[in-house]
Amino acid sequence: MFNVSFSEIGSVNVKTSHQGGLTNEQIADLAVDKIASVSDQAPPHVRQQAKLFKEQLKGIMYHYIILARKEERANIIQALRSSGQKETAEYIRRL
Amino acid sequence: MAITQAMCTAFKKELMLGTHNFATNGNAFKLALYAEGGGGKSSTTATLGAATTAFTTTGEIANSGSYTSGGGTLTKVAPTTSGTTAFTDFADLSFTTATITAMGALIYNDTNSDKAVCVLDFTSNKTSTAGTFTIQFPTADASNAIIRIA
Repeated sequence: MFNVSFSEIGSVNVKTSHQGGLTNEQIADLAVDKIASVSDQAPPHVRQQAKLFKEQLKGIMYHYIILARKEERANIIQALRSSGQKETAEYIRRL
Repeated sequence: MAITQAMCTAFKKELMLGTHNFATNGNAFKLALYAEGGGGKSSTTATLGAATTAFTTTGEIANSGSYTSGGGTLTKVAPTTSGTTAFTDFADLSFTTATITAMGALIYNDTNSDKAVCVLDFTSNKTSTAGTFTIQFPTADASNAIIRIA
């Protein structure tokens, strides 16, 4: 006998931004939520450990997201300077 | 409620008929966004739930930024199993430079007559203003994945 005991769909997480893209913190949240999840049915001490781990992970993610954005901007600025667009490069540097 | 989270009943039947192929080289699936309270295009309201059978423009949000009617194409992750549960996943989807207010979404099969897969209820209005609207799918495991069969 073929028996499908249940079929389910998960819950999505929606992040939005205003007048621009997502913030570094929002991106860090997205990454951490994807890396680590803990069941609501897990014992309290496991949930507490998972929460602490996620907070630590978020701090690390946040740091490297900022670094990645800075480095990407540096590449763009250099490319603009090399092509003689110094004013645009300076504008982006000040962002 | 006008938008109720559910795996569409027709989809369950169509799985048995082999209508939907979630392999990475299989069918194309899309995600469209919907509004309640007359917030859809032409002041329409979405009514979505288990009884939904196919994509509809009623209640769909208006075009804005990178969002156009029909929504965005989902990048599939090949179905897999864990224990006795089979599940599949999609990469997160973002619409940029968009002014959007949406209460839910519909995942549907763009390859096979826009047949509905599941309805997602955001539980409250989510709004972006000239910004990014990102839908993050849950962790792909037997307890959380977006589509699971056990």
